[in-house]
Amino acid sequence: MSGLSALSLVYIALCYGAAAVFITGLVVKFYGYAATPAPLKIPTTPAPTTVPGVIARLAGEALFFTSLFKGNKWTWAGGYLFHATLALALLRHLRYFLVPVPDIVAMAGPPGVWAGALMTLAVVYLYMRRMTVDRTRSISLFADYFALALIGLIGLTGLIMKFAIRTDVTAVKGFIMGIVTFHPVNIPPDILFLVHLPWRWF
Amino acid sequence: MAKKIETDELTGEIVTPNIEPGATAHYKPNLAAQEHNESLGFPGSKIEGWEEKAIGRMGELLSKYRSLKVYMDTCVRCGSCADKCHYFLGTGDPNNMPVARQELMRKVYRRYFTPGGKLLPGLSGAEDMTGKMLDEWFSYFHQCSQCRRCSVYCPFGIDTAEVSMAARDIMNSVGVGQKYCNEVLGKVLDVGNNLGMEKPALANTLEFLEEDVEEESGVAVRYPLDEVGAEVLLIAPSADFFSSPHIEGFTGYGKVFHEAGVSWTVSSYASEFANFGMFVGNFETMRKVAQRIVDAARELKVKRIIVGECGHAWRVGYSFWNTLTGPFDFLDPKHRTPTHICEFTLDLIKRGVIRLDKSANDDLNVTFHDSCNVARGSRMGDKPGGQFDIPRELIRSVCNNFVEMDQDTIREFTYCCGGGGGLLTDELMELRVKGAMPRAQALHEVMERNGVNTMAMICAICKAQFTKVLPSYGIGMDVVASVHQLVSNAIILGGNRGV
Amino acid sequence: MSFELNGATYETDEDGYLLNLDQWSKEVADYLAAEEDVEMTEAHWEVINFLREYYEEYKIAPMIRILTKAIGKKLGKEKGNTKYLYELYPGGPAKQACKIAGLPKPTGCV
Repeated sequence: MSGLSALSLVYIALCYGAAAVFITGLVVKFYGYAATPAPLKIPTTPAPTTVPGVIARLAGEALFFTSLFKGNKWTWAGGYLFHATLALALLRHLRYFLVPVPDIVAMAGPPGVWAGALMTLAVVYLYMRRMTVDRTRSISLFADYFALALIGLIGLTGLIMKFAIRTDVTAVKGFIMGIVTFHPVNIPPDILFLVHLPWRWF
Repeated sequence: MAKKIETDELTGEIVTPNIEPGATAHYKPNLAAQEHNESLGFPGSKIEGWEEKAIGRMGELLSKYRSLKVYMDTCVRCGSCADKCHYFLGTGDPNNMPVARQELMRKVYRRYFTPGGKLLPGLSGAEDMTGKMLDEWFSYFHQCSQCRRCSVYCPFGIDTAEVSMAARDIMNSVGVGQKYCNEVLGKVLDVGNNLGMEKPALANTLEFLEEDVEEESGVAVRYPLDEVGAEVLLIAPSADFFSSPHIEGFTGYGKVFHEAGVSWTVSSYASEFANFGMFVGNFETMRKVAQRIVDAARELKVKRIIVGECGHAWRVGYSFWNTLTGPFDFLDPKHRTPTHICEFTLDLIKRGVIRLDKSANDDLNVTFHDSCNVARGSRMGDKPGGQFDIPRELIRSVCNNFVEMDQDTIREFTYCCGGGGGLLTDELMELRVKGAMPRAQALHEVMERNGVNTMAMICAICKAQFTKVLPSYGIGMDVVASVHQLVSNAIILGGNRGV
Repeated sequence: MSFELNGATYETDEDGYLLNLDQWSKEVADYLAAEEDVEMTEAHWEVINFLREYYEEYKIAPMIRILTKAIGKKLGKEKGNTKYLYELYPGGPAKQACKIAGLPKPTGCV
């Protein structure tokens, strides 16, 4: 661990800290739900009566946001674009976490970049919608805006690093692989990357 | 006191209003008196240190119901539900947006049950349980009819009904109860029905009905009470013994049994299908009310239980009875418990057991109002969606003229009548009238376009609510009909062929 | 809640229904009717009297058809229907007429 700069130590601590909070939080929540009884049958009907039917209904919700589609086409469009492009951009980002880079991740490279751009636009749209529709404005909390602003900032810095002020990708991958393999190394002191990275902390 | 409530003229269109903060903050139901609360085992009036006790009760509920726990955590305030509630559409009060209604509880949940809310309440949208908060709870959790329409549109399936049930249970646990529900529950547990109608009155009512039907048709149709050994125990909402058009539906049940040649009986001990225990979100109360029916079924040695036209009660019967008071292995396993009277009648019609003269309903042009708790909280028959198809098929088999209302207002998208969930009380009349706006618009449209003059339904609350509020929209109360009233009109008595 | 009439105090519930049913009298009925903007005629009294008689025996107001039939018998068949009762008592025979008759408010899904 010798030879690490103070800045690197802070970032390394935050990376592990965030991962720990994230994983612990998920486990605690899931365990909490699993351990809580559900005494009464309460699915909103009409509900499927067979197991494949239930799987299909859940999959429709998880993959296509079917209820949101019924509820509000504009929110669905913005939300779906955001989540789909985020998924693609994240897939592309696996290239920084895996050695060797799997084919599917390599293939996600070029579209992943464009997905990042679209994602950032979608976030701006969702932010604007939240602010301008009187109903959503009245129910939005600081946390709702904050999450969107943060993701927007991450998208923006990512795009700048790709298209304008390119960062040292080799050094970035070196740092991330150091974290992943529990042999942390110094963080590249690129301000854009330093801003781009913290998303996981939240 | 019977004052007319101002409404806009109907256009047939449901328009989302601009928000108007605090528009209905002053709508509040009457507080339950000490005797009402205590009869249900709740404190008589607001207790000392209620804040702490309320949070304690919330913790208990969070550990007893996974749904509540998930609902408290998962909302992202996307706003999909915001314009789906009939009370929001009718009043514009932002706290009547389902998400905002839930937030009233979520704010408190965050403050006492999440790390963020404990440490940084300001940033997390967390708030203390205060007198002001309780006031808002009492007001707005009694402006939710637990119709679940919002849950259809929620990407996470969050059901505001569950949240308001929990909120009402928490309020009851600290002695802040709602008079209408608690008084009614006291009566059902004491006398056997919501009306407080004792056995002599019930017997008199059923005798009257026998005479009336015979006078009119010349056929001696029986309306039996407490007959041990009957095949069927019929459990109807007690409004069926009292009001119109409920009684016309009840008259129809009797004619169906008569023509089917099936012996049946009403019980004076369990003369109520409605179960307001669900409205107040209290498991034990709901169980006690349901238990009376099981006890009556054993006592009367019946083989099956058939239930009348009642919305939320059908939900309780279909979805909860088995958990609350099952198993029903002392009944004939050939039949579903409970069986809905619509399933029963439709089956008889399909098998040609009862004969019909559809032309008896030719002066009627009928539409069907899906009652919310039947539509979104239950099923009927074997197939998903049976709760929509079976009543429709039944109506079509007894009427020649049937028209659907706008598709965004029927089946799982149906709007509540505006009086469900324990809000069918006079002091909330303004809310009830405004909440009926979406249904009134859709009805108005088919009245204008298709000449509809009858709206049939299978819920006692819907029937009572619409007969009271539609006149405020210039629609006569005589459009409201029971589904079995239509059956009653069309059935040919005296053709009894037996099952 | 309560109201004063001829020097006596009458306790009522939140909706103005008499709490002590023994306190009812014709004067009280007239007072309650005025509060409801109902002008009492012979026909109105027929309804009130029948409600009170029925309540006396059965501790509850009669089912709507029992009431309409009874009124039809007394006032003529063409008046034995719900529509006529609502003409007499626009607030509803069950609720408004019960209040004037000094009966408790019917509860439940009515």
